[in-house]
Amino acid sequence: MTDILNYCYTSLTKANVDKFQCVLTKSTLYEMNMEGNDFSLIRTTIDNKINITVIKDRRKADISLNRINERAIEEAIKTVIELSNTSQQDPDYDISPKQEAQQFTSGPDKPDTERMYSLLKEFIKKVSASYPMILLSETVFSHNHSLTHFINSNSVDFSINKGIYRFYSLFSSKDADKTSSFNYSGFSLKNLQGELLEHGSLNELLGQSVEHLHAQTIQGKFIGDVIITPDCLDDLLQSYIATYLGDRALITGLSLFKDKLGQMIAHPKLTLHSKPLSPEVDDGYFITSDGFAAEDITIIDKGILRSFMISLYGANKTNLERAKNSGGNFIIEPGDKNFGEMVSTVKKGILFARYSGGMPSANGDFSGVAKNSYFIEDGKIKYPVTEVMVSGNLAKLFKNIVEISKERINFGTSIYPYIQTNGVTISGK
Amino acid sequence: MKVKNLNQYSSYLSRYTELRFQENHTMSIAFLKGNLVQNYKNSTSGVSARVYSNGSWGFASSPDTDNVKYVIEAATQNATFLDVREKKSTTAFTADNPKSEKDFGTKKTRYTQNEIMDFIQGLDSYIELKYPDLNSRTVVLNCLDMEKSLLTSDGAALYSLIPRSYFRFSLSMDKGSGPVEAYDTAGGLGQFEDNFSAPDKLFGTIDNLYEHLAKKNEGIYASAGPKVCALDSELAGILAHEAIGHTAEADLVLGGSVAADYLGKESASSLVSLVDFAHTYEGKDCPVPIHIDDEGTKTEDMVIIDKGILKGYMHNKKSAQHFGVKPTGNARAYEYFDEPLIRMRNTAILPGESKLSDMISSIDDGYYLIKPSNGQADTTSEFMFGVVLGYEVKGGKLGRALKDLTISGVAFDVLKSVTMISDDMTWSNTGMCGKKQLIPVGLGGPAIKCKINIGGR
Repeated sequence: MTDILNYCYTSLTKANVDKFQCVLTKSTLYEMNMEGNDFSLIRTTIDNKINITVIKDRRKADISLNRINERAIEEAIKTVIELSNTSQQDPDYDISPKQEAQQFTSGPDKPDTERMYSLLKEFIKKVSASYPMILLSETVFSHNHSLTHFINSNSVDFSINKGIYRFYSLFSSKDADKTSSFNYSGFSLKNLQGELLEHGSLNELLGQSVEHLHAQTIQGKFIGDVIITPDCLDDLLQSYIATYLGDRALITGLSLFKDKLGQMIAHPKLTLHSKPLSPEVDDGYFITSDGFAAEDITIIDKGILRSFMISLYGANKTNLERAKNSGGNFIIEPGDKNFGEMVSTVKKGILFARYSGGMPSANGDFSGVAKNSYFIEDGKIKYPVTEVMVSGNLAKLFKNIVEISKERINFGTSIYPYIQTNGVTISGK
Repeated sequence: MKVKNLNQYSSYLSRYTELRFQENHTMSIAFLKGNLVQNYKNSTSGVSARVYSNGSWGFASSPDTDNVKYVIEAATQNATFLDVREKKSTTAFTADNPKSEKDFGTKKTRYTQNEIMDFIQGLDSYIELKYPDLNSRTVVLNCLDMEKSLLTSDGAALYSLIPRSYFRFSLSMDKGSGPVEAYDTAGGLGQFEDNFSAPDKLFGTIDNLYEHLAKKNEGIYASAGPKVCALDSELAGILAHEAIGHTAEADLVLGGSVAADYLGKESASSLVSLVDFAHTYEGKDCPVPIHIDDEGTKTEDMVIIDKGILKGYMHNKKSAQHFGVKPTGNARAYEYFDEPLIRMRNTAILPGESKLSDMISSIDDGYYLIKPSNGQADTTSEFMFGVVLGYEVKGGKLGRALKDLTISGVAFDVLKSVTMISDDMTWSNTGMCGKKQLIPVGLGGPAIKCKINIGGR
């Protein structure tokens, strides 16, 4: 790898570009695939990827390719310089400044294929025994290994060796002519400890899928409480960040929070971190895509906005401070009520388990279907629901938080509790 | 790439094997409020092999196309790993060896990078100068060339170059009551030179988009609940693809899709016929023309619903064997390192005999819905689509524009409620379908009148 990057460094230096960065990644994937209860395919791939970014005369371009011989790289450098020559000038293009060289390592280099196979066998056996009405549609269990080397013309030099196991399963339930909506979940693991059903929320979701064979519709429309499940929270949170705190929202000026740094934007019970380096998170990362060593940060501290989630370019463009990482690996601090106590306080609402919805509007209005969800009334979960729509506003959703649960689920990528909030329009038939 | 013929490797293929060389080229250029935020090219190429051993598949790939022997051996090892443990003893596929060579690349002189950038800047400048009241604007060009060569141990052979290029325009406005956005796309099958001759040819699309946005800015929220609606072609297309098409993919049928219960039964209004076209519609190339799929099967049109009756499912070789039917040529892979999955190609409801104007006139209290943002559906055919452009219909006349809304329903029920289908057909070729991998798909359709749930305030 070093030879190739040295070649890039030398060639780009000779090409008289003002600034450049090169990222070389060599990855291997070992993946077991299942259709239904059958092992259908084992897939092994090796791939390379080199990304080259150049800035010349305040003009910028990027190229990536997976052929890493000298001839291909020479051609790519010629192309990316040609591409940058056609770019408009922008003083805000930049690369990361000099930082201390670092090497990072995480997880195993090689998969334990026999253990993966036996874990999957056991998974099928237990699902078949415990949930005979479950139909596993697609299950994928993989080991991903990557060697990444990042250099730039400011002498930044990072190398990362990362191995991670990832698992997800898509499933539904069927009983005679009754079919439940599909559901899915997954998780990441550095090491293959315990049974697959013990991780993430999988076991709970399989049980819920069977219950949804008897889903009912709700009549009419009301404004009620929702308890957002950890699986559902990820989708809503990603939309919240993109709508209000990301590059596009801030550069266009469309974000409702553009002037709210240091101010209260959410309920004081909400503390949201992004912690790619946390030992609690197996599937983290070490550097940002624009070449900074990643740091753990707090985005919202007791309801107060502490960081936008913008890149170096976004920060230069808006005169705001860049985020100290690339987002993701979200951890929400737990609350002091357990899930059962939260349910007991709901007069009328839903346990909101999956959001199937349109992209939120620029102001955060959202509207979609509450999939795999449950009707709650008078403090009790009454029955699973189907064809229920929810609409509301993302900013209000997190401002109106009532409680956050003690219980949290660690997906290996993020750690989420249940969040109870209100003011959501819930409509049935 | 231009490795059109893989016959030199035929002696390496002992068991049932698919050998594929593939290169994907992408280019993406994006201006956000006049700032060039993306100026990017990518090339990903390599070789893959998939080997079948007594009912178990093994797959391997390498970015180095000299590694043909390695990928075949690695794929064989993977298939053997499963075979010795699972011992499925499935019978072999029926041998078939169609051949096809299709190059949809431009025959025109390629534009220089400068010319392409000038073209895009011409569009961005047009918007900036003509519509100064906009809060923001986005102009994005996406180009993708997929070039594949395939050889199977049965002797099937394919070379194809299928390109797509399209613009996406997004405009936003805020007159004090919060930002409002609208978008449109232009382009489709073909490289840049074949789809775009001059910026001013696209000014009409932009002007039309601005007009809709201005109306949407003064728009209203839709009322929640079931409503009779006219769904324009893009929404009818996404309904056909997301909510019906996926349920009729044979792997999802085996996974419990509701379509398993509908085969041979009335599943839609007798006005509705729904087809996944392989490559040609009424003598013209479809948005994503597939002549031989990535398992080496000669493709054919798959009639999913014929006059309201569910007729069949989309298959790859393995699912066809399971159901005892012929494979339909729906096995497709996105990158060289991806295995073929059952995917739709060009899915559309067939045109009827009504006019869109008559359809709107016949609605007393409902909506005319035009443009989807995204869509999701599940194996029950329950779906959700975001709608970013639409109008209320009162007393048979178009009224105020609508702010963003979501529509939902159970697709087979919605298709049973169809009472009118327009006599025209519009295709779109900017969609990517996600199912483990991404894949370009074509969506099409006429407008349909049906009853649908509106998610509103």
